[in-house]
Amino acid sequence: MFFLRIVLMALRSLRIHPLRTVLATLGVIIGVAAVVSAMSILEGTRSEVEGRFATLGSNKLFVFPGIQRDRGRAVGNVNTLKLDDADEIARACPSVASASPQVTSASLVKFLSKNTQASVLGTSETYADINHYQVAEGRFITRDDIVGEDSVVVLGWRVKRDLFGGRPALGEVIKISGLLGSRGFRVIGVMEKKGNIGWTDVDRQVVVPVTTAMKKLYGLDAVSMILCESKSAENADIEAAKSEIKKLLRQRHRVRPGQQDDFQVQAQGEFLKQFSQMQNIFAVVLYSIAGISLVVGGIGIMNIMLVAVTERTREIGVRMAMGARRADVLRQFLIEAGIVSFLGGGLGVLLGWGMAQMLEQTTRILNTSTTTQAISWALSMATITGLVSGIYPAYKASKLDPVEALRYE
Amino acid sequence: MRRLVIRIRGLTKHYVMGDTVVRALDGVDVDVEEGEFLAITGPSGSGKSTMMHLIGCLDRPTSGTYELDGVDVSRMDDGQLAATRNSKIGFVFQTFNLIQRTSAVDNVAVPLFYARRTRVREPAMKALARVGLAARCDHTPSELSGGERQRVAIARAIVNEPRILLADEPTGNLDSKTGRQIMDIFHDLHRSGVTIILVTHEMSVALQARRIVRMRDGRILDDRPVDDALRDELMTTSLVPDSPPEPSPGPTSEGVARIPVARPVRV
Repeated sequence: MFFLRIVLMALRSLRIHPLRTVLATLGVIIGVAAVVSAMSILEGTRSEVEGRFATLGSNKLFVFPGIQRDRGRAVGNVNTLKLDDADEIARACPSVASASPQVTSASLVKFLSKNTQASVLGTSETYADINHYQVAEGRFITRDDIVGEDSVVVLGWRVKRDLFGGRPALGEVIKISGLLGSRGFRVIGVMEKKGNIGWTDVDRQVVVPVTTAMKKLYGLDAVSMILCESKSAENADIEAAKSEIKKLLRQRHRVRPGQQDDFQVQAQGEFLKQFSQMQNIFAVVLYSIAGISLVVGGIGIMNIMLVAVTERTREIGVRMAMGARRADVLRQFLIEAGIVSFLGGGLGVLLGWGMAQMLEQTTRILNTSTTTQAISWALSMATITGLVSGIYPAYKASKLDPVEALRYE
Repeated sequence: MRRLVIRIRGLTKHYVMGDTVVRALDGVDVDVEEGEFLAITGPSGSGKSTMMHLIGCLDRPTSGTYELDGVDVSRMDDGQLAATRNSKIGFVFQTFNLIQRTSAVDNVAVPLFYARRTRVREPAMKALARVGLAARCDHTPSELSGGERQRVAIARAIVNEPRILLADEPTGNLDSKTGRQIMDIFHDLHRSGVTIILVTHEMSVALQARRIVRMRDGRILDDRPVDDALRDELMTTSLVPDSPPEPSPGPTSEGVARIPVARPVRV
């Protein structure tokens, strides 16, 4: 009850100079807005990335070609991963359930007068199973297609819709333009509607036999990635798969002991770990900036509270004459400072949320998520800032001599 | 003899200003009985303001004792003094000193608030009714006239039912008609048993009390009940013969402040 009255009293004195109060809290407003928008972006990105990784499944391992280095400087990817490597990984590594080689490129695909941009994935028959990605009509590519380097294609759901609309696509021939020129592919299947797998919108993808893609479309002699699946999502199995793959590839690539791998194997968990490390660095930078503006905001609050104490010296004297103890005066100004910055924090939350929304709308890439945790954290930081900055002015007010204060003009 | 509310013995207050010691009060003895209506008067620098601060427990004496309501308050600490001010003293100031943008009733409730009372509106309304302002309880000071503001201030001073009502030039910022109305309220309160101490340099105001303590240079010049003899004496001799006029804030001009002798008809 007593506390509530002090709060009401504080609100009443803030109403006297609304503009001045807002200007004084500008630092806190900006600080809190920075915290809230930064947290929204970090949280949004985190949940987006985690969501994408979840579509991959947690038992995935990625084998990339090594980065060629010249005196420590990366000069380009080495074409070290061969098609056979994928087969051998699947055959010789007991902890690996299956492996699928991949080459990708973006190409224009055409059917009669219609065309659309799609990503062309050259891969093996295991791809669909590893990704739990099902065929809706027709069939997926088979071992025979790969061995025969057949010009067959399985369409992503959206590519099919773009090129064929409602008409059947099976058996039709579409044109895919690669580096070696345009080539006709017979449609053998259409995939289900799926959305994203990892960062790829598979609905906008067409799948061809990896051999055909390498030799007839792009003229490649190495694959860009081998996607592997370990026996289970158990950590031990993933680690075992990783070391088996490493051992096998070093052997196959004739890497001498002491020499660096000419490839990289990364489990999905490691990607996530790297990602969250990167995020932590961003967070530290963003929070430092936010912290600095909160300190500046605190100085603003302290300044305005010192002005308020001077301006209201007489009122303090009157309150003391009416029986206010020094602690009462101290508490009054402390609470006032806390409320000013709490309200500033509220405005800051709105502003930060607005900024996050605007970023999301304008960039269309960035995902943001403003959590209640972020909001309450920001608000409590703001209030603490206000209370800390209010200590000195409130102390000064409480130490006034009642006689002097009453005499103050 | 009625009960003593105030018993002051050998009270001094010295201020050190640079190398010199200013003896604002220099050995004062005063008794005030319950229900008295007392005026403390004197020229500027006579020590009457210091006297008021000490009686009002806003300050501590350098030496001497001050018993308020049987309790020695001269050695109390800040917290005890604040509690004493809250429960035993009601202040009325020349410049009203209401809290801005706060309704009359909330202003009156301020002492109740510091007394940690939970129910404040009802006693505050009662105090406002006593000064005839219940109808304007929700108005803020800026919506009230000077006289109304002073009445709110009086209501605030009496809301905790203090032992003494301490008024410092309560009519100093008011025109003579409004001033008379305020004095009428003091008379009413006095009749209902409130002990009133009026600090003023205006003889016409002082003469409305039942007893006048005149001060000069930190000492009591004389301490007499108000009777015809005193009236005649004060009206024929100027109260402040040699000293410069008292600087007075607010609308009261120096001229008005100095003419108590020119307004005897009213008394």
